[in-house]
Formats: sequence, structure tokens, C-alpha cells
Amino acid sequence: MPLHLMLVPGIIVVLLFSYGPMVGVVIAFENFIPVKGMFRSEWVGLEHFKYIYHLSETREVLRNTVFIALMKMIGGLVAPLVTALLLNEVMKKYYKRAIQTIIYMPHFMSWVIMAGILLDVLSPTSGIVNQFIAWLGFDKVFFLGNDKWFPYVLVVTDVLKEFGFGTVVYLAAITAVNPSLYEAAVLDGANRWKQTLHVTIPAIIPITILLTTLALGNVLNAGFDQVFNLYNPSVYSTGDILDTYVYRIGLASAQYGVATAVGLFKSAISLVLISLSYFLAYRFANYRIF
Amino acid sequence: MVLKKANAKRSAMLSLLLIMTTVTACSNSNNGNNGSKSDTPSASTSESGDNKNESPPASPAASGPSGPEGKYDPPIEVTTVRAVSAAAELAPGETFDENIWTKTFESDLGIKVKNLWKVNAEQYQNKIAVTMASGDMPDFMNVDAQQFQILVEAGTIADLTDVYAKYASDLTKSSFEGSNDLRLKAATVNGKLMGIPADGGESADTHLIYIRKDWLANVGLQPPKTMDDVIKIALAFTKNDPDKNGKNDTYGLSLDYNLFNGWSGLDGFFNGYHAYPFNPTKGTGTNLNFIKGSDGKVQWADVQPEVKTALGKLADLFKQGALYPEFSVIDGIKSGELATSGKVGMTFGSFFVPTWPINNMYKDVPGSDWGIYPLVSSDDQPVLAQSTTGLPSHYFVVSKKSEHPEAPFLLLNTYMEKLYGHFDKNYHTVTVDGKDYGEFGLAPINGGLPGNNPRAAVAIQAAKKSGDTSALNDEQKSYFDQVAKFEAGDATMWAANKLWSEGGVFSLQGQYIDNHQVFTSAYVGNPTPTMVAKGPSLRDEEVKMMTSIIMGSKPLDSFDEWAANWLASGGQDILNEVNASGMVQ
Repeated sequence: MPLHLMLVPGIIVVLLFSYGPMVGVVIAFENFIPVKGMFRSEWVGLEHFKYIYHLSETREVLRNTVFIALMKMIGGLVAPLVTALLLNEVMKKYYKRAIQTIIYMPHFMSWVIMAGILLDVLSPTSGIVNQFIAWLGFDKVFFLGNDKWFPYVLVVTDVLKEFGFGTVVYLAAITAVNPSLYEAAVLDGANRWKQTLHVTIPAIIPITILLTTLALGNVLNAGFDQVFNLYNPSVYSTGDILDTYVYRIGLASAQYGVATAVGLFKSAISLVLISLSYFLAYRFANYRIF
Repeated sequence: MVLKKANAKRSAMLSLLLIMTTVTACSNSNNGNNGSKSDTPSASTSESGDNKNESPPASPAASGPSGPEGKYDPPIEVTTVRAVSAAAELAPGETFDENIWTKTFESDLGIKVKNLWKVNAEQYQNKIAVTMASGDMPDFMNVDAQQFQILVEAGTIADLTDVYAKYASDLTKSSFEGSNDLRLKAATVNGKLMGIPADGGESADTHLIYIRKDWLANVGLQPPKTMDDVIKIALAFTKNDPDKNGKNDTYGLSLDYNLFNGWSGLDGFFNGYHAYPFNPTKGTGTNLNFIKGSDGKVQWADVQPEVKTALGKLADLFKQGALYPEFSVIDGIKSGELATSGKVGMTFGSFFVPTWPINNMYKDVPGSDWGIYPLVSSDDQPVLAQSTTGLPSHYFVVSKKSEHPEAPFLLLNTYMEKLYGHFDKNYHTVTVDGKDYGEFGLAPINGGLPGNNPRAAVAIQAAKKSGDTSALNDEQKSYFDQVAKFEAGDATMWAANKLWSEGGVFSLQGQYIDNHQVFTSAYVGNPTPTMVAKGPSLRDEEVKMMTSIIMGSKPLDSFDEWAANWLASGGQDILNEVNASGMVQ
């Protein structure tokens, strides 16, 4: 019992910082004027939700958000998994460590810096990527200004930046595999490929499923930092995500009611998805919170 | 047993300690929240009170000036917040916190100006929005027209009518009243003066054409007389190797994603076709141009057929390679670099272009010289240059809780005196090791005397002809000297020469005014509710439409579709509100 007391600080923090601010959702139903405060602003009911529903871009933005987020989830699953399996086969320790560190590095760079670099690297006139494409004999691609390419640029650059981090997680899972399983496999005549197929992969499947299902809750978070730093008006149609959209039409022009309404909408969807993903993780990955 | 007990006691103590730290940490941050949530004045006053503990809360008259002049003794402290321009280079030893202005304010007026925070100019508007939401306002701050509106409605800013009458100097008053009282009227709501206009009353944003003269000579063309000439020059600059380096690496016309801007904007290009659209990509979406039709009703300038004509010409220029192919992803700083690195030879822009970005090119790039030309028309109708700065776009507002609502006026009096009354160059520009640094931008408050610059240009040129400088005031004399220095061979004074000499920026802009060639919106009111609610999303639609038409990813006729869509998705409401406002001229 006394040890349970240690929970109290945590609970207080959660109450104060997670449950307390929930009062703020009333802003979604008000014509909120900051200086009048939450309780004195005019009540407008579902007005903001109707307004968002009737905005021509809303559906487009929602579609972009889900598409980009899902692509990022898939890329963010496959790339680190493959890299981890490949790195696991590398025998030279210093080589493995060096690779691990190098691919891990971009994770610590902010998107502001990454965007500055990408703007130059991907430029059709002077960028190295396009010079390579031209050298291969293809047409140059305006990656950041072409609305067909832009979502994929987002996905690829995000994966490039973050896959080192995921690799570390999977490598850790691989290290935890019982060596005697490999010994048994060798005795049965399994080569490296068979060992990977029948020992390593089955062993890390639970953590893979777990990470993937938990990521479902983030399907409406397509990465504000990244998109905000890379996008421009000519790719709004495919690159604009909920967060950037709300920022532009809501926060930057002081329409707090609208911004909060979108936030509330996002939270509601996320709640459903997180519940669903927990259920899936519970069923398939034996994941238990309680 | 004993051990267990001790353990329990220890963990109880530990958790108590944890609780206490979290609770105290939270209660601190909670105080700040209270101010915004329940709007209790006590929380906020106690916070702002921290800053003013040194100053006695006595009435201003007891310890300070009772009119436009005087000094606080003991000194008072007033708080404000600042936007810091990323491009600005500061003179050695000068900062936004301590500079010649703040030192003067402290020594002459007994007012210490304290910056509660400073933030990059691009982030300023958002940070102000957050400040407004938190309810923790500084004594005075610079807000845009829309935020001004919100603050007036909310009633958290002070009524300045009385302090203006009592503390504003004659010079300050005349700066408010110039050009038809437009600035004073805009800042007055329901008969009360609610803010100090930071700008407005000027038409310094009217566009001019800037062209590399050396490039013109290289391709064998004359300065433009019509818009067709402009296009001919743009194409020649693209295809005829104007920099004579043997490579096809130049562009005809400067452009970046802002579309409308004082540097590499398209405002002047559109004006050439008698079109007056205005809706910058990074703008508020609420500063719109309206045209009065023959029936007395207003129309929105951006949906007129002339806009479509001009867009067609731009799309053609893009197709022929005269526009930077990546213009839609670069900002003004990048497009400035293209110009200074000799890739672009023509731009439309307002008065400041000689001072940025092309200010050092005459000195640094041998043979380069930018010429300045007035806008040209596409036909025999005279061209009108649009100006959107007649109405103030920014105001200084004073918090209701400020103990010294008169302080900003005293600061402004000094500002006007140093820059317009008895001009003191040290407050405008200082030169350290041959490099010029602007000082005027460091002042925590600013204003302006409408029409000041064109007047100065006329006076300087008259003095140059007659050789008699006695009629010049101190400010004009210093510009006169800068021009004289340039003529004596000082290449660093190139920008001053372009600004003040005959045929320079202010002469040409003065001619626009004298010849009634300035277009201003027919609507002179503040943003309407629908503009505020739908402006940003309508702006995005317009920017998308223009960018994709110019880049050729959509046909020119998608303009009509967009125009119809604009009316349907809120445009008609905006027009109705504007027509019903009674603020149409």
C-alpha cells in the first residue's frame, strides 16, 4: 500500500496536464475571443464543425493526412526491419557500429535544417539528385513543387530521417533472441538465410506487430514539422495535412474556435484508433497494459 | 518488521516530496493559466506587477511630465515585445534591448523600455496571437489590423483619446492627421482613439520596374515603354545571354512564392494590365483590393478579367523560361540571392529595393547597375500603381492595465523629433568601418510623416540644381550629403543616390501621386467578419490558382472556375458586407 503512494505524483501530473486542459475543448463550440476567456465568449454550438465541413479543402486535407501517415507507417516499418536484419549479418563490429551511428544521426536533426538541405539537394536546376536523374537519361523532377511527387518526397525523407532510430529498436529485439535457437538450427543444417527466416524473423514478429498497431493511433499525425518546412502553395493539394491546414487558417489568423474544433475532431478519431490498435495488440501480440 | 516500517516511512516521505515539487511547479504555471482561463485580473496584475516593482504606483502627473515634454523622476519602466528581422545587421554594440533609442529614452524621458520577448519577424504575428490568448499583455505592443480589431472588441486595450490630446506633440499630431486624417480615422473606433497607427497614409509600396542597365545594353534594348517591351526584355534576358558568360543561366523576371511583395512581387506587372489583385501568400488574406463599379457597388479586384490577361502573359513567360522554374518553393531571401548572384536582371518592387537586396551590387559586382523605371501600361490608358498602405496595417496598442498609458506617446514624440523634427543622423544610420547600419529599426515604437520622402526628394533635387542647401532640413541635408558622396565616387552610397536623385525612387513615386496614378482600394474599413473567417482559406485557393496557372499545370481558363468558386464560397458575403459597410469611397 505505501508503495502505491508513489503513484500519486504521477496521477496529479496527469490530472493537471492531461485532464485539466480538456476543459479547453469548450472553445470548439464558442466564438472564442482570447481576452474574454473561455467562459465568457459567445456560444455558437456546432457552427465551427459545420464551417469546417463546408470548407472545400477539408476532405482533400483529410485524405492527404491519412495517405501520408499510412505511407510513413509502412515505410517506417519495412526500412528499419530490413536494415536491422542486414546489420545483424554484419560480422565486423566497428563496421556495424559505424553504420548504426551514421543512419541514426539524422534523427537528431530538426526539420528546419533538413528542409534547408533538401531544398538544395532536390532542386531541379542545381540539386545533386536531379543531376543524377539527368545523367541516367530521365527527365528532371521538381520534387518539392510537383504535387504528384510531393507526398512521396515526404514519405521518403521521413523514412530516411527516422529509420536509423527504428533500426536500433529492432536490433535490440534481435539481440534478445536465445542463441541456443541458432545452434539448434545450425545442427539441423540451416544456412544463414534459413536461420533468418525461421529463427530471427519469428522471434521479432511480436515487437513488430506491437509497434505497428500502436502507431495506428497516429494515423492523423502526418508530421507538422516536416510538412510545414517543406511545403508551398503549389503542393497544397496533395501535401497539406490537417495540422498545417489548421495552423494556416486557424492559429495564424487567430481563429481559435475553428482550430480547436479540428483538434477535437482529431482527438476523437485518434481515440477510436488507439482503442482499436490496443485491441489488435491485445489479440495478436499478447500486449497488456493492465 | 522494523525494516519494513522504515521502508514504508521512507517511501511515504519520498512521495510527499515528489508531490510537493510537482504541486509547486504546477501552481506556478497554473497562475499564468488562470489569467487566461477565468480572466481573473489579480493573477495577471501580480505578474505584470513584478516588472514594475521599482516604480512607484503613483499617478503619472505626480512624478512625470504633464504634457508632450518632461521627464519621469524617478524613472519608470514600460514593457513591450519585439519582432526581430532576420536580415537586419546591427551596428557593433547595439542590440534590440539596448541601443541609441533606449538609452535616449532613459536619459531624456526617464522611461526604461523593457522587451519581454523578442522573436523572428516571421513568427511575430503568431506569438502575438498567443500573447493575446494568455491575457498577459505588455504595456504596449505592435499588432496587425485584425488583432487590433479583436482587442478593441475584447476591451482589453486602453482608450487613448485623452492621453493623445494631452501628451502627443504637435509633430506627432500632424503625423496622425496627414493625408485626409486617414490614419487617425482608422485608429479611432466609436469616437475613441484605440491605437497608435504604426504605418499608413503612405503610398511607398507602389511598384517601380528595376532593370539591370548593363544587361539592357548587352542585349541592345531600350528601357520599356509598354508592357510588351517588358516582356521583350524579360525574354531577351533569358535567351540572349545578357551577362555574356556564354551560358544559358539567366532569368528575365524575378519572382518567388509570395507573388505579391515589395521585392520580386507581381503587383506592378498586374497594374500594367490595369489589374489590381493583392493577396500575398504569407499575408493575412484580409487586406483586399476593391473596385467601385459604375453602379456604385464594389467588385473584388482579383476576379476581374484583366487579372486573367496578365496571368496568361506570366504563364507564357514561365513557359519560355523567363521565370525561375522553382519560384513556387523559394522565398524572398532566396530570390534576392538569385538577383545578387547575377541570375536575374529585372524585378518589380517598391521603394526599398535599392536598400535591399541589391544594395551592394554596384560596389561588389563590376559593371552592374540597376536602373529604375516607372510602371508602363499595356495600352494607351495610363497605368495606375496600386498601394495598399493607405490604411495602417499595424497599430501600437496600450494595455488597459498599463500604469503609464501616456508613455508610448512620449516615446513617439521623441522618435518623431529625432527622425522628422530635427533630424539626427545617429538615430537613422550609423557607419562603422565603412559599413552602414540602420538604427531607426531598433526603436521600440515607430511612426511616420506621410509624404515625407517624396517631399524630401523634391527638396534635395532643387538644392542640387541651385547649389543652395539652406532650405533643407537636417534629414534632407544628410541625404543630400549621401548623394554628393556617391557622385564623388563613394560606391557604398549607391542606394542613397537611387532613392533621392532625379529619376530615383521617391521622384517616381512622387510623380505617381502628383499625376493621380495611385490605385487604392475602394473599401477603407477594417476586415469584415467573413474576411476574417474565410480570408485565409480563400487566399490559399487564390495562391494555388495563380501559381498553377503561371507554372502551366492548369489551363488559363481555370481562372473563371476559381472566380465563380470564390463568389460561392464566401466571396459574395464579403462583397455584401463591404457594400453595406458605408466605408466605400
